[in-house]
Amino acid sequence: MKRADGELLLLWTLPLLGVIWISAFLLFPGFVQPMSPTLSAEQVAAFYRDPENLPRIRYSMILFNWFGVGLIPILALIALQIRRMAHRTPIFSYAIVACAAGGPTIFLMADLFWLLAAFRPERDPQLTLLLNDLAWVTFSSQVGFLIAQNVILALAIHLDRQQRPVFRPWVAHFNLVVAALLIPAAFAGAAMTGPFAWDGVLTFWVRNVAIGLWIAVMGVVLGRAIQRQRSEQQAAA
Amino acid sequence: MSAAPPDSKRELWIGWWTLVVFYNLYGLLFFVITRTQPPPEPSLDPSEVVQWFHDRHYGLLYGYAIVSIVGGATAIMNATLAYSMRRMSVSRAFAYSYLVIYALATLPGMLIMGVACTVGAMRPDRDPALMSWIYDFAFLSFEGTMGVFLIGSLVWMVAVLLDENGVFPKWFGYLNLCNALTEVVVAPAWIFKSGPFAWNGAIAWWINMGVFVTYTVVFLTLLRRMILREDFGTGPLPELAP
Repeated sequence: MKRADGELLLLWTLPLLGVIWISAFLLFPGFVQPMSPTLSAEQVAAFYRDPENLPRIRYSMILFNWFGVGLIPILALIALQIRRMAHRTPIFSYAIVACAAGGPTIFLMADLFWLLAAFRPERDPQLTLLLNDLAWVTFSSQVGFLIAQNVILALAIHLDRQQRPVFRPWVAHFNLVVAALLIPAAFAGAAMTGPFAWDGVLTFWVRNVAIGLWIAVMGVVLGRAIQRQRSEQQAAA
Repeated sequence: MSAAPPDSKRELWIGWWTLVVFYNLYGLLFFVITRTQPPPEPSLDPSEVVQWFHDRHYGLLYGYAIVSIVGGATAIMNATLAYSMRRMSVSRAFAYSYLVIYALATLPGMLIMGVACTVGAMRPDRDPALMSWIYDFAFLSFEGTMGVFLIGSLVWMVAVLLDENGVFPKWFGYLNLCNALTEVVVAPAWIFKSGPFAWNGAIAWWINMGVFVTYTVVFLTLLRRMILREDFGTGPLPELAP
């Protein structure tokens, strides 16, 4: 079995991961109709106490707890493609590995806060509100590692000056556009209503669609790069 | 030994300039915009904590939003520092350990504090007892997370002391030990609510910050000298041109 075969196997976990993430997203009642930050403590507590909501909150967040880290192997594959670029140092691939450790940990924290809020919905509504705030602020505003990932990848592609670069220049531009689309979400804590609020158009919909699009596009681009690497290895053998 | 073409060092310069810009921005965000450094007293009562959040409302919300945007820059910074260890005549385990330890350190080093301060500031009418918990969470996650910086500095120290390529002078190894020791003396911040050992105290904060600033200025200078001398060989670095 060639090295690239194992890499393709990891890459093919991505469509499966996509199905699981989308299912968990649709299952969580707080996402389909994003919860408003203006809800009172009693309304937030009622959301968790609702017998229709509670199992959906728990099961969706258990799914995210299992599979939230599923993107790490894909980021590892991107780090390996960066190693094939015409660079003098491993700095960019190291930086992607650092992002791969940070981003999912942030998401895991948000997941824990949601699960904690759902564990004892009978808790004092003020405590449920606090856990819900911690979950939403962590989930929405912490875009730093995702932005860094995009910018670092764009820089790495831009500096990959060789006859046949690993990724084409448009991939760098695409990454910069995605990075720009993630910036407004950082202000989620500063707005209770409007497009910047955590249920707003920019912070919720634009950000999450941008992340989904990035995963889909990078999956395809990565697949092509690995295929090309594989055929080059076969030709060389 | 022939000198590498000037633009061959651009990856290293991107890393170095990110470090310089980031540390300046970090100072501005924490000391001026959010006014969370120097840290306030741990002994504030809940109503004083509510007032503390009230006084910094916009600074916390917008300041930590900017921290959220730029926080990931630590990835390229730590990658650059890890590269200095790859340049040494030591095992790759040192660079990898440093990279992973400091990737984790970004969370307690600023992001968790940002989340806590944002959650505190966004609802000024929250129960004061809970505001007090948020306040403790913010400052103890920030000041009281020690292991990542302790072990990270020791990894760098051992790498510098073992290195035969002369990437950094040996005395910098011992400066790493000073930085590591500040993380030891901060431990009582988990116990004391006032005095020199409290999270805002002379020992737990002022000496700590003094050593950290010195350490940061020194490693930025030494890293710049390393990049200037870098010839991408595997052996000793060439002497610095006069």
